[in-house]
Amino acid sequence: MALSDTSLVAKASVPPGLKALLSDWRRGDRAPLARIVIGVLAVLTLVTFGFSVMTGASDASIWNVLGLEVLGFATDTTLSARDSIIIYDIRLPRAVMGLLIGASLAVSGAVMQGLFRNPLADPGLVGVSSGASLGAVTMIVLGTQVFGPLFAIFGIYTLPVASFVGGLITTLLLYRIATRNGQTSIATMLLAGIALGALAGAVTGILVFKADDKQLRDLTFWGLGSLAGATWTKILAAGPIMLAALLAVPFLARGLNAITLGEAAAFHMGVPVQRLKAIGIVTVAAATGASVAVSGGIGFVGIVVPHILRLIIGPDHRYLLPASALLGGVMLLFADMFARTIVAPAELPIGILTAVVGAPFFLWILLRGRMQMGL
Amino acid sequence: MIEATNLTVWLSGKPIVRDVSLRARPGEFTAIAGPNGSGKTTTLKALAGELPFQGHLTINGHAISELKPWQLSIKRAVLPQASVIAFPFTVREIVQMGLTVHPHNSHVTNQRIVTDALQAVDLEGFAGRFYQELSGGEQQRVQLARVLCQIWDPVVDGEPCYLLLDEPVSSLDIRHQLAIMALGRRYCERGGGVIAVMHDLNLTAMFAEHMIMMKDGQVAAAGNPRDALTDDTLQTVFGCQMRVNTTPAHNTPFVLPHTAAF
Repeated sequence: MALSDTSLVAKASVPPGLKALLSDWRRGDRAPLARIVIGVLAVLTLVTFGFSVMTGASDASIWNVLGLEVLGFATDTTLSARDSIIIYDIRLPRAVMGLLIGASLAVSGAVMQGLFRNPLADPGLVGVSSGASLGAVTMIVLGTQVFGPLFAIFGIYTLPVASFVGGLITTLLLYRIATRNGQTSIATMLLAGIALGALAGAVTGILVFKADDKQLRDLTFWGLGSLAGATWTKILAAGPIMLAALLAVPFLARGLNAITLGEAAAFHMGVPVQRLKAIGIVTVAAATGASVAVSGGIGFVGIVVPHILRLIIGPDHRYLLPASALLGGVMLLFADMFARTIVAPAELPIGILTAVVGAPFFLWILLRGRMQMGL
Repeated sequence: MIEATNLTVWLSGKPIVRDVSLRARPGEFTAIAGPNGSGKTTTLKALAGELPFQGHLTINGHAISELKPWQLSIKRAVLPQASVIAFPFTVREIVQMGLTVHPHNSHVTNQRIVTDALQAVDLEGFAGRFYQELSGGEQQRVQLARVLCQIWDPVVDGEPCYLLLDEPVSSLDIRHQLAIMALGRRYCERGGGVIAVMHDLNLTAMFAEHMIMMKDGQVAAAGNPRDALTDDTLQTVFGCQMRVNTTPAHNTPFVLPHTAAF
């Protein structure tokens, strides 16, 4: 993919703005392009959000609701009231949740890949999501008996916090196992991730085995990997954790860039490496844990989104991280719209959809990059 | 000045560097030479502040262990031996990373420094290339450009800055070996300091003002190459029976491998 190949494009008559962009690109400066991509993604996010609120299995119309709420005028008041419930209590929280979870999953993937200096690291693949699930399942099954006081203290936050702790422990273990003297072994990381994921899965299995009927029903609904259960209460519980993780991201970007050259080189360039790693790991665990707590396992968003963006705007985390957040939200909302309309009035768990698209994509990355990554 | 007093470094339970004392003055090209495994790189890493150590280390009079990473990074920059990068960065993006500690520079200043640094390592026109697609020698020079960006001015607020280079010319062709050594020398002439781990004794003799020969983690000989590079030191440090000659014009010592006796 030599940059000189773009000369063909440049020869065609192009507007001056695009010409400047191409010349920046040829000089190795992808920042102007990245800023435009982020702008486009921001618009796309708003459009997708609106579209997601407008479509669904029922024929509820946002215009009826807007008519009633904003203009105080409605052609049919009962219809508008029904639509109002569908939009406010079903579609709107679901769309908000979709954006938040998509953004969290994509960003935690991108941050983890930066920390491990490895494009294959993804919380879903290397067991972090399994650890987070274990945390959540532990709460659901043992919650009232063993951790009763915790529920009293954390209230609605108990489940997200438990997932966060589960994810944090897994990420820390993984980092300890896979990183020696500031170098992360790709093979060790993936294999250790499989082992940790399997272990977390096994313990989860034991807990499920012990669960009573009511808990089993809770577990099944929770574990399908779906946005169907989105409510304002859940957003209130998990949203702040995800937002906090997303807000930490701008402070990580320069450090993550430097650390791609190795931990020692990052230190030489003035980056406080230990603090960067600590914040990064907590961010990954928080974003993954909160997402898993509300939607179960939705895989591959964290690997597909940053990878596509790296191909377009490059790996500079100052642009990659915000762009990942936006594209992650957009992709999950699209997947969700697809999931709830394709087999309507039933619903496909969204986790199945992301896996169907994501798994082949992951294989493609693997085959394409096998040489460079020494696998 | 970078000064080490009784520096001892332990790695995995072994003393790799033992009781080393050395001085690297601003305005002087300091070279560290010695056989493989003699502790050259470990010494350099300790001077860079990245390893725990016993003894005393100072840079311009400040204890290195008490400076924060960003404080160190505006006084010294470090060229590591080899860097593998997993993401498709362009050359410009890599070189710009050297400016991580200067986030308040204007965009124009940063672009100028990047362009000048690439020119200094003879990589004009490479800014748009992908780092991963370059040859080993070209990658080494990209890294050097990044390191130069970090402390572009050899003297800041009256304090000299230092380039710590680990085998800076190891994968370069002869033209670029000479160019990069001359670059280091110019950095010294402008008031900065250079400490380089070197294997090529002839380049060292040509460009270094101060030479430190290490053996088994200790300093075996130190001084101007004219004094430090002798038949005796080659015998004791490298275990090689070789003759050191001098060039007629400048009285610079040189070593021909052909003179080695086995």
